[in-house]
Amino acid sequence: MDTINNTLQLNHEELFTLLKGFITEVIGAEFVEEMDITPDSSFTKDLEMDSIEIVSFSEKIKAHFGDQIDFTGWLSSMDLDELINLDLLMIINYIYECQ
Amino acid sequence: MPIISVNHKQVHIQELNKGAEQTVVLIHGMFSNLSIYYFNIAPILAKHFHVVMYDLKSHGMSERFTDGYDLESMSSDVLALMDVLNLKKVHLAGYSFGGLIALKTALKAPERVSQLVVIEAPDPQDEKARNIIDEYSKEFLEHYVANFTDTTKVQMGKRQMEKNHRMYEFLFEKTSIKADMIREKHFLGEANFSELNIPTLLLYGSESNCKPTGEWLKTQIIPSELELIPGDHNVPIQEPVQIAESIVHFLSQSLSNALTQNHG
Repeated sequence: MDTINNTLQLNHEELFTLLKGFITEVIGAEFVEEMDITPDSSFTKDLEMDSIEIVSFSEKIKAHFGDQIDFTGWLSSMDLDELINLDLLMIINYIYECQ
Repeated sequence: MPIISVNHKQVHIQELNKGAEQTVVLIHGMFSNLSIYYFNIAPILAKHFHVVMYDLKSHGMSERFTDGYDLESMSSDVLALMDVLNLKKVHLAGYSFGGLIALKTALKAPERVSQLVVIEAPDPQDEKARNIIDEYSKEFLEHYVANFTDTTKVQMGKRQMEKNHRMYEFLFEKTSIKADMIREKHFLGEANFSELNIPTLLLYGSESNCKPTGEWLKTQIIPSELELIPGDHNVPIQEPVQIAESIVHFLSQSLSNALTQNHG
């Protein structure tokens, strides 16, 4: 299993580093090098992630945190406009609160 | 990423609610991937059913192949996937070209399909769809993205444009997809739907160019109902919750009817 020890609560900065790592794995280091990824980066506009890449990203979050958070359930509660405007900070805050 | 081997092909699948008694297999359309279901439609279906989504060959994260894009091969792929997952009988739902794959699978192996949901399946005889393939170029993609994707609200940046271009270029120039799709031109006219005795839900956008195909299919498939949902061909993106709820309602209703008949 990919699930790690979840008893340690990650802070905002650690979550940002973790999620940035997931994004790098999904879209490739060569693209990430050209981007300035910040907590304000939006998934579709700034990171140019398409929906199948967001599926991969979601799967990495699921594998890492296990049942601790329902990331797909959280995403599915959003409408299209909210999904398009989704940024890293919103995800960091969500995961932080779920821990 | 769950990647499984089906007939020596690497196939990307996603499953939800594995413990449920009944399974719904969801088939996406050409030039798309399973994400059309993953975020909104599948989680709603998964409250009631085991849901299986997969990427068609050369789409999403499944392995690339140079041939086998005709409905015969694509429906064999569905059945082979069911074999690998040990699913004897399922509810089958397909969107756009995936709807044609679902229809073909039900015609070919009716004993393996409990109920059928066909969303926005086009008539492959429609020249507009085939012209896109015949005239494909990168300029076409740029023009298409600039002018025709407004109803899905998604804008494509440089990296996505390149990624999509590479996929279209591979499919159109390195595979048999063009010839395979032309071969399917008369699929709807030649299929014998009168033998298809499977309860079928036809879901179409009320403003869709494909709506006449839905109306025609309703006259051909006797145990079928047609439901129009506000939107165009992109209706699963425009109204995912309504699509999912209609599917749940249909599958649950037909099941309770079947139970009443069995016990009545």
